[in-house]
Amino acid sequence: MATVAPPVETPFAKVNRDIIGALWEPDWRYRILILALLAVLGWAGFAWIYQIKTGMGTAGITHPVMWGVYITNFVFWVGIAHSGTLISAILYLLRSGWRTTINRAAEAMTIFAVMTAGLFPLIHLGRVWYFYFLAPYPNQRMLWPNFRSPLIWDFFAISTYFTISLLFWYSGLIPDLASVRDRMKGLRGRMARIKETIYGALSLGWQGTDSQWKNYRRAYLYMAAIATPLVLSVHSVVSWDFAMAITPGWHSTIFAPYFVAGAIFSGIAMVITLSVPFRWALGLEDYITEYHYDNMAKLLLLTSLIVGYAYVAEYFMAWYSGDPIEWESFRWRAVGAYSGPFFIMVTCNVLIPLLCFSRRIRRNIKAVFVISVFVNVGMWYERFVIIVTSLAHEYAPGAWGLYKPTWVELSITVGSFAWFLLWFMLFAKLLPAISITEVKESIAEGVWSPGDKKEEA
Amino acid sequence: MSGIKRRDFLKVLGLTGASTGLVGCAQEPAKKLIPYLVQPEEVIPGIPNWYASVCRECPAGCGVHVKVREGRPIKVEGNPDHPLNAGRLCARGQAALQGLYDPDRISGPLRRVEGTGEFEPTTWEEAEALLAARIRGLRQTGQAERLYLISDGAVSSLDALFDDWMDAVGSQNRVIHESLDVEPLREANRLTFGQAEIPRYDLDRAELILSFGAGFLETWISPVQYTRLFARSQSFRDGRKGRFVHMSPRLSLTGSNADEWVPARPASAMLLALALTRVLVAEGRAGGRAAVLRPLVEPFTPERVAEATGVEPERIERLAREFADAPASLALPPGVEMTDRNATATHVAVNLLNYAAGNIGRTVRFGPNVVRRRSADLARWTDVVEAMRSGAVDMLLVHGSDPVHTLPPNLGFAAALEDVGLLVSFASYVNETAARADLILPDHTPLESWGDHVPEVGVHTLMQPTSNPLFDSKHTGELLFSLAARIGGNMGAQFLWPDYRGYLRDAWRPVQREFASRESFDDFWHAAVSRGGVWRDVGTQPVTLNRAVAGVEFDEPALEGDAAARFALIAYPSPTLYDGRGANRSWLQELPDPVTKLVWSCWIEIHPEVAQQLDVRTGDVLAVSSPQGRLEAPAYVYQGIRADCVAIPRGQCHAHYGRWARDRGVNPLALLPAAADESSGSFAWLSTQVALAKTGQRVRLVEVQGSDEDRGREIAEVISLTAAIEAERHAREEIERHPEARVEAVEDADPKSPYRWGMAIDLSSCIGCSACVAACYAENNVPVVGEERCAQGREMAWLRVERYYEHVVVEAGQGGVQAEHGEWEGLHVVHIPMMCQHCGNAPCEPVCPVYATYHNPEGLNVQVYNRCVGTRYCSNNCPYKARRFEWFDYEHPFPLNLQLNPDVTVREKGVMEKCTFCVQRIVKARNDANAEGRDVADGEVTPACAQTCPAEAIVFGNLRDPHSRVSRLARSGRAYHVLGELNTRPAVTYLREVARVTEEI
Repeated sequence: MATVAPPVETPFAKVNRDIIGALWEPDWRYRILILALLAVLGWAGFAWIYQIKTGMGTAGITHPVMWGVYITNFVFWVGIAHSGTLISAILYLLRSGWRTTINRAAEAMTIFAVMTAGLFPLIHLGRVWYFYFLAPYPNQRMLWPNFRSPLIWDFFAISTYFTISLLFWYSGLIPDLASVRDRMKGLRGRMARIKETIYGALSLGWQGTDSQWKNYRRAYLYMAAIATPLVLSVHSVVSWDFAMAITPGWHSTIFAPYFVAGAIFSGIAMVITLSVPFRWALGLEDYITEYHYDNMAKLLLLTSLIVGYAYVAEYFMAWYSGDPIEWESFRWRAVGAYSGPFFIMVTCNVLIPLLCFSRRIRRNIKAVFVISVFVNVGMWYERFVIIVTSLAHEYAPGAWGLYKPTWVELSITVGSFAWFLLWFMLFAKLLPAISITEVKESIAEGVWSPGDKKEEA
Repeated sequence: MSGIKRRDFLKVLGLTGASTGLVGCAQEPAKKLIPYLVQPEEVIPGIPNWYASVCRECPAGCGVHVKVREGRPIKVEGNPDHPLNAGRLCARGQAALQGLYDPDRISGPLRRVEGTGEFEPTTWEEAEALLAARIRGLRQTGQAERLYLISDGAVSSLDALFDDWMDAVGSQNRVIHESLDVEPLREANRLTFGQAEIPRYDLDRAELILSFGAGFLETWISPVQYTRLFARSQSFRDGRKGRFVHMSPRLSLTGSNADEWVPARPASAMLLALALTRVLVAEGRAGGRAAVLRPLVEPFTPERVAEATGVEPERIERLAREFADAPASLALPPGVEMTDRNATATHVAVNLLNYAAGNIGRTVRFGPNVVRRRSADLARWTDVVEAMRSGAVDMLLVHGSDPVHTLPPNLGFAAALEDVGLLVSFASYVNETAARADLILPDHTPLESWGDHVPEVGVHTLMQPTSNPLFDSKHTGELLFSLAARIGGNMGAQFLWPDYRGYLRDAWRPVQREFASRESFDDFWHAAVSRGGVWRDVGTQPVTLNRAVAGVEFDEPALEGDAAARFALIAYPSPTLYDGRGANRSWLQELPDPVTKLVWSCWIEIHPEVAQQLDVRTGDVLAVSSPQGRLEAPAYVYQGIRADCVAIPRGQCHAHYGRWARDRGVNPLALLPAAADESSGSFAWLSTQVALAKTGQRVRLVEVQGSDEDRGREIAEVISLTAAIEAERHAREEIERHPEARVEAVEDADPKSPYRWGMAIDLSSCIGCSACVAACYAENNVPVVGEERCAQGREMAWLRVERYYEHVVVEAGQGGVQAEHGEWEGLHVVHIPMMCQHCGNAPCEPVCPVYATYHNPEGLNVQVYNRCVGTRYCSNNCPYKARRFEWFDYEHPFPLNLQLNPDVTVREKGVMEKCTFCVQRIVKARNDANAEGRDVADGEVTPACAQTCPAEAIVFGNLRDPHSRVSRLARSGRAYHVLGELNTRPAVTYLREVARVTEEI
């Protein structure tokens, strides 16, 4: 519904038109989708309120499996949050040009995934109304949180990651927000004025002057440098929630690298899963192409191999350690009551991604999409397997038990997807989903241009 | 100022306040405490009063002390002075409180609405008038014999009153009903020794106990007393341990403590006992007694009985030699559930075995006999049922028993009740009999009543009310007085006591003459009431073999049922629910069965081979049929039962009896014919064979234990006697060398604290009875969650008894025992109480993000409920899985809430909880000691579990005191820590189970 003609037919103009053009008023399909997401979210909200009111017993977690789907979701979403920073910061520092069209969406995904992940520690609290006990706030009783507890490390790691990711994303947005503001100037009507004011305020007075660009570039680079270690630290800390415990199946030094690789793996998969319908819905096929999927599929393959190695290494160490309890825990993981999830995990995370060795498959967007969906499922199950099977089959055989999620947990899990997608949908209509600046830079530098299949890349 | 106006500010404040309030909805509103306006005498808020009384949960009659806070009984503990239980109590005794506070108790007299199954409230006045008029009518027409009274077998003043009252009415029709009677034993003793008595078994002196199946550690005669004595001889003490051989088709809770299990064929105990006796006689080990025994036992060679008993001749011979060679031995008869048609002859055979080994007068002593009234036999019951059917019973009064539930249904008692003119029940709960009554006149529960009880010769115990009656109930004795006055005539003048206490005092005057004739009665009375009764030692009475024994016929055992039905049915009394009377106690329903670890249910135990043949797993419903009936119940695959037997616990299957008992399980008695032991006439519970069929259905059996085996993780450790002696010797030398040396766990407390609390649990003493679990529920307000939630793994027990099967491997010549997989010589069961280990290096502590669990200066791992936000990380990191989470707000329906211990902190939903070592008791002892300016002495603090343990397996105390009992035990050679390799440094030390295997004799 672009009502304004693009200024001049140049590649730059096409970029402006295509990307900003996606921001115009949504059609009925979009509205229905939003309503549907709100409905799912409402139901999940009801489930949560019911759980708070009645007690944690409405969830399926039990003795001895005290953590279940909620913590699975938490780790899953934190994992999803990884690829954003990886693509933005690390690939930026490595000067990988292909990142330009997907980094914005990936960063947005990061932020929304952290927002989703952050809900689960609250949802799983027995007494959520005292959640603030976890924060180090000054109080009369001089009570502080326990800094030895990995849960407190989590609290800091994730809030830091969220802050840095948000700032990094925002700083990348500033020139684009200014472009949108400028675009609004050409429009008539009250709404256009309001939008102009808002985008204007958000663009912090960006004029595109030389000195602005110079400072901006430098700031962006430093931020990328600051964000980079966080990619490694956040999921390492999350993995320590498990690795610091003495539970067999958790207590392992491989957990930090294993979790980081898994997080990047699942994050890339989620970027692929989201970007395919997204490029189609917003008509951005020219910007996100086989070239990008090829690259992402390579990254997927690499991380899949690392994850597969970690699986094998875990089993090897359990066997090599000669600890019968550790070994029994791993044996049972594969052949016990939860062998189903275990084989889903192995199939989806290790076997299916092997298809990406084929260049034909990597260049087939549909195939890559399907693989990415499998990986998402597999990575969810990976966390489920690690958490649930380890707890169900611990040291005291007399206290072994099983866990099965209830409707409350499933509703909230589905709700978390709705929550995440809702933010993503809003993002797609409110902010430039592809970095206009960087795309233009790529064109100018001749790295890549819209519609370019870049076969030789 | 143009900013916020005062109004707006208030609006914002109001809104914020309201939303904070909404958030606060999740919490219980605070309730106000109101002080006494006029303080009752003897009641000091916060200070408990203790009253001595008698436990009436089973006929044993243990002495109890009832803890009463602000007028409410909140805990029952054993009376330490009592000769039977010496301060100990079983799980059923602990649950006596739930009888008092049963939410389904009858709250006043009820009358049946004509022609319906409903009851309507009536008044005592009206009910008594109706009863009196009816009895008067009977007496006037000379039909007083048409009045029947069924009551339990306890010997007491109430029993005497029943006799006198019935005499006065003019009826001889008293029926004594004790469902788990031991009449064959009494009859056999009459035949063998001319003494129709139940003797004292000195289990504490018996080096070798040979049991033919009696559940003497669970339900048989006096389980707490027997457990106490059993533990003295059979646990490892001072380098010695007795030996216990269990010769029975099923490994019961009692059998699970055996050093050797001889899975003899069902109903073969008689042959086995005779063959054992014969070996003694033939090998000249019976001394001068051989001559008289030889003709009796001559035909029963081990070879001849081998087929019928399923025990190899060599094994019989070996056991016989062991039995004769042991410094002191004791053979115990088959228990109630093994009463077959030959029961008396079997008991005679066991008597002969004891006699041959010279045990009579040594470990089997007549004199301090158990006192019980003779329970009605089958013939008597058949007559009663016949009389009822023919309309010859105009009024039937039922007190203290539930015959509809506990008699075999095939006797036809329940059906015959239809023809009774007026059925009057004195039950406190609507049990199966009361549900059919025309009039229910509820008696006080024992904890509200005056009364007495004579459990043993020379032991007279007194009950006093520990609480005002909670409801509009009336002491049955007082009711009889009142009825007598209404009936008038000769009765009017005979029962003139104002209340039951007055009657009881008069009834005790002869006791005073016997015990303290020189004291004034009031002094005697006060002393007796406060002490719980009076008792004296009774000497052993010498007995000789009776000539009549020659006339006993030892017939081959036979079971009813057709040839196709090949499984002998063992209907055993539940260790927790007894004969069913415990079924309305939620603690007992939720208490895992000590053998199967199932809760809230009923099952059929079948051998794994049978399960394989039928292609069933635990939980598959089986149809069990006998010529008398058919029932369906889920299978429980159990390696502790012979393949030609099945076993079903008694106790469930109530159509009434309150919310917890109702509609649960099956009654195995329905499969039994109304058959009797031929000599004593007592019911033959082991009399039929049943057929099994798979139904294809499956139900959920709620088992609270995960795995039955500890998989070599050395959680439940067993060593041989030789190894134990060796280890103990080393440890003793070590202690002598370093008398002040302390165990490692001592370090795990504040250096300035005089205390590091610790516990020692001797697995060689622990019998797995789970009394500790019930005591913990009672002391710590542990909520009962019900079957559904137990099935989800959400039972709240702070203390659980894990039961592991160890496969005992006997290494030839070594006498060593190892718990291993693979080949095994026999099944060895280890019970291990598991609770918070109060680790010095507790894995739960560092992971809590809010310091809700931390180490206190006295070394306790404490849980701060107020601080807990419920991340449950601590539980995940606890290798013992000792922590419980409050999944919901749990309810204690009125009046159960009156039982709650006010000294224990309230837990809200969403917090973690666990064993505190009964910190409230520690605090009390510390306060008392501080007030007196001293340290807490050893033995001053006893947690509820240790206090009640009938086997005295649990010892609690201060590890920093090198001379405390717990310190000494912690340095024992058998000491180990469960999962000690994790460096958790637990404060709980376990002492290894000792198995005295064959080789070591």
